[in-house]
Amino acid sequence: MEKRATFSMGWLGLAFILPQILLVFTFFYWPTGAAMYWAFTLERPWGGGNEWVGFDNFRQVFADRAYWGSIIRSLIFAASTATLSIVFGLLLAVACDRGLKGYQAFRTIFVWPYAVVAPAAALAFRFIFAPEAGIFASLVKAYPEFWNPAQNGYHAMAMIIICYSWKYAAYCFIFFLAALQAIPRSVIEASALDGAGVLSRVFDIQLPLITPTFFFMLVISITDSFQDSFGIVDVMTDGGPGKATELLVYKIYFDGFRGLDYSGAAAQSIVLMLIMMVLTFFQFRYIERRVHYS
Amino acid sequence: MIERTPLLNFATYAVMIIGAFIVFVPLWLVFVGATLTVREINTPELHFFAGSHLFENLQAAWARGHLGGRLLNSLIMSLGVATGKVVMSSLTAFGLVYFRFPGRMLAFWLIFITLMLPLEVRIVPTYAVAANALWPFQSILDASGLTYLIQMLSGVQVGLEWNLLNSYTGLVLPLIATATGTFLYRQFFLTVPDELLEAARMDGAGPFRFLAEFLMPLSRTNMAALFTIMFLYAWNQYLWPLLATPDRAGFGTTAVVELKLLAPTVSTNGGGTPDWNVAMAGCLIVMLPPLLLVAFMQRYFVRGLIATEK
Amino acid sequence: MKLKLLATVAALLLAATASASSAERVKFEMWHGLTGDLGGVVDQVCKRFNDSQADYEIICTSQGSYDNALQNAIAAYRAKKNPTIVQIFDAGTLDLLLSEAYVPARKLMADNGYKINWEDYIPAISNYYANSKGELNSFPFNSSTAMMYWNKDAFAKIGKTEAPKTWEETFDSLKALKAAGYECPMAWNYDTWPIMEQFSAINNIPVATKGNGYQGLDAELAVNKGKFVDMIKTLKKGYDDGLVKIKVPETGATIVQAFANADCQVMLSSIADHGTVTKTQKPDMKWDVAMLPTLAGVERHNSLVGGASLWALQGKTDAEYKGAAAFFNFIAQPESALFWSTNTGYIPVTKSGFEFMKGQGFYDKAPYKGRELAIASLNASAVNENTRGIRLGGFVQIRKEMRDALTDIFANKVSVDDGINSAVERSNVVLRKFEKTYAGKMLP
Repeated sequence: MEKRATFSMGWLGLAFILPQILLVFTFFYWPTGAAMYWAFTLERPWGGGNEWVGFDNFRQVFADRAYWGSIIRSLIFAASTATLSIVFGLLLAVACDRGLKGYQAFRTIFVWPYAVVAPAAALAFRFIFAPEAGIFASLVKAYPEFWNPAQNGYHAMAMIIICYSWKYAAYCFIFFLAALQAIPRSVIEASALDGAGVLSRVFDIQLPLITPTFFFMLVISITDSFQDSFGIVDVMTDGGPGKATELLVYKIYFDGFRGLDYSGAAAQSIVLMLIMMVLTFFQFRYIERRVHYS
Repeated sequence: MIERTPLLNFATYAVMIIGAFIVFVPLWLVFVGATLTVREINTPELHFFAGSHLFENLQAAWARGHLGGRLLNSLIMSLGVATGKVVMSSLTAFGLVYFRFPGRMLAFWLIFITLMLPLEVRIVPTYAVAANALWPFQSILDASGLTYLIQMLSGVQVGLEWNLLNSYTGLVLPLIATATGTFLYRQFFLTVPDELLEAARMDGAGPFRFLAEFLMPLSRTNMAALFTIMFLYAWNQYLWPLLATPDRAGFGTTAVVELKLLAPTVSTNGGGTPDWNVAMAGCLIVMLPPLLLVAFMQRYFVRGLIATEK
Repeated sequence: MKLKLLATVAALLLAATASASSAERVKFEMWHGLTGDLGGVVDQVCKRFNDSQADYEIICTSQGSYDNALQNAIAAYRAKKNPTIVQIFDAGTLDLLLSEAYVPARKLMADNGYKINWEDYIPAISNYYANSKGELNSFPFNSSTAMMYWNKDAFAKIGKTEAPKTWEETFDSLKALKAAGYECPMAWNYDTWPIMEQFSAINNIPVATKGNGYQGLDAELAVNKGKFVDMIKTLKKGYDDGLVKIKVPETGATIVQAFANADCQVMLSSIADHGTVTKTQKPDMKWDVAMLPTLAGVERHNSLVGGASLWALQGKTDAEYKGAAAFFNFIAQPESALFWSTNTGYIPVTKSGFEFMKGQGFYDKAPYKGRELAIASLNASAVNENTRGIRLGGFVQIRKEMRDALTDIFANKVSVDDGINSAVERSNVVLRKFEKTYAGKMLP
């Protein structure tokens, strides 16, 4: 964040950020602090005492074979959904941005997936992908192993990736479209007058100009894939078959919320936060330098 | 811009139509589900053609879910979150980008880290805070000995309490405490050229005028995008509103929470009638306002005509 | 004119205060986890209670699922804003039992002057929720047990008019069904409740040491040695032979849907699904429920109760507890049992309730005929160490570990022995952590 032109009254800047800082302190850091405390003790759900155990919970988390699998799966999920959502969101945004006749209707439709509540979307996709009743039904009758998400972990993973990306592409679409439309008409016209065709305008002018948004989408997509995946996994696969779709947040939610293992869940949460911080750090360090800000 | 690019136009339309189809199929299935009977929706096959029971399912969903009042609650909450987010994020990002003060980077990261821990995971302590939003401050006063001091000096026992449960404030505040909007605006503000600020300064504009008259108009499309997304995000929240609105008879709850309550109980020791058709009908009703909002917000996604030369 | 106005105002005020004082009901809250039409019936039960007396008003709020009800109650309790009554499902029992957060049912009723005939509760049900002295800690509310559903038309085709009584008979029937052309003789969904928990109780096999956990927190799982492993091996062979098909939501249908559509001919499920099958069955399909089979040569023992019970939580006023006691007394009445079982698939929890319903002819014909077998299953023997229930910590996670192992076994990723051993190993880790969390706590 290297803006050369700034205002000099530093205290005013502080005043501007104060509301959010206060809010974040009250509703994020304070509750998180309590949860962090649980990671170092053995917390009883209904209260009534806990015992300090230092890093024992963390040791147990890392000793669990299933946990490492969870991390790998979550990374794969993050990479796949981010790629699919960004690519399709961008593609649709560029298409709409051209402003061909009737594009307003498409523009409206493409945002709708994000308006659908996650469990409903997951339910619909479960119907679509059901091996015995869905779109692959006739193929499955002939070749049962062709599509078997109830037993094949890879198929189940593909299913949740597709469902999540369907929703998330809409999210990417709207921000990409906003960014493309923020490019002033004069810039486009100037380059058109210069003789640049549509495609070359897209690749040489528009895409470079929206790299800040692209960076935003990359960071947000990856972070959100860790966080928003819970609803879809819960309705579509319950983490199954076996543990094939057990992502990190699902595991935390299951262990803490359902299994009432508050300490284990808190320890896993801290690890999750650290993983995300590392991921984000890498993105800021190595990718942001390629972003054209001005 | 008049250009003749028939092949590219065809490709563009093809992309958009295929995209629309992919968007539409799952939504169509939800619609069809809402038109079937209990028996039909429990036969394991993909129902492509609509049945004839849409109206009665809609009625059942509306009545069982008290959806009228709930939709209003959802509307107020989502508007609150969307507006609050847009306003607060722009102010915060403005402060972070355009001012220099010690701890600036620290503040940015502190805010950014809120993206890394989902609400589900910290929901139990967040509830305790919502039950008394001043509890953190009370604890600080207690721990630092200030409460004791104040009591000694003035005989007043400081007992801060602000119960946010069963209120719009309680629904909205925890949901706007995250960094999405701030990050978005930060990205956008960084693309605004310094010359703009110079020009504004020469015009005699201070920070407030600069923000209101120069930056805000430029960020119109971003604002619209953020508003839409935050509205949809808040609308579809389930876990937090469920917990924060225990007084169903009085304050009521949000539409999506009611939707979940419409869905049949699923449990291995036995559940109720799997009337998913009614749940799907409820889904259609609850989905309608966000879809309408999205359609309405489209007018703001227009390329700016007035622009500074970039 | 003015006088008339004053008089009217005075009259209105009087009327308002009069109705206000008569509406001075003590309000208290109950949180439960039922939704959909079941949630609607709970609302009706609460309304019936409110209409039946004028002192108390219960406010029933659904929390969307058993897990949410438990979690939200915990969150509220920690913030001192908990309801008076909360519905907790079977696996959530132990954490609450070991805490200071509840008021034992016996104490609540005694303190408020109610004489409840505790012997009236069906032993298999009361023992699940009782302390070591046999005293109820919570009130059984929606109870069920696992049954075998069988398609009478299909069995008629293979020449049988009665459901199989042993597992050996069952698999013989499944073979015959397959030979007769039925593609899916039995539907199965990896659920551990009928196949591990109920199976063990009915065949008098322990699920865990220390009396299934009743006698101490240092219990360990015991299912990886013996008959349960054999049962899974039999099931796996059945699956390989095409006698057993997996029906889970991910395949496109649940076992209930598959059975109700006559796609599959046998399923193991809760008696509470009896009503669901009735409402969604293929028209003219003839089917019935039967008690779960035993192993050949083993004397039948009682099955386990499933469902949830109602707990009274600490931190409320005496008046609220009085109201809660009145509510518990209300739902213990035979008429309430009749109402509840008529409108849901759950079974009566008291002997007197069951007798009352029999007397009313409830079980004489469809759609309720057959449900009395659930009671018979629960009463099949006197309760003993292996059949009074399962009281293990982290049981939700244990069920999941077992389920994951079964999924891997049936996907041929791991052998039956290895899969079950690994699940037991991981479950024991959960149990040890639970034990450490509650170190020094005695089981009540």
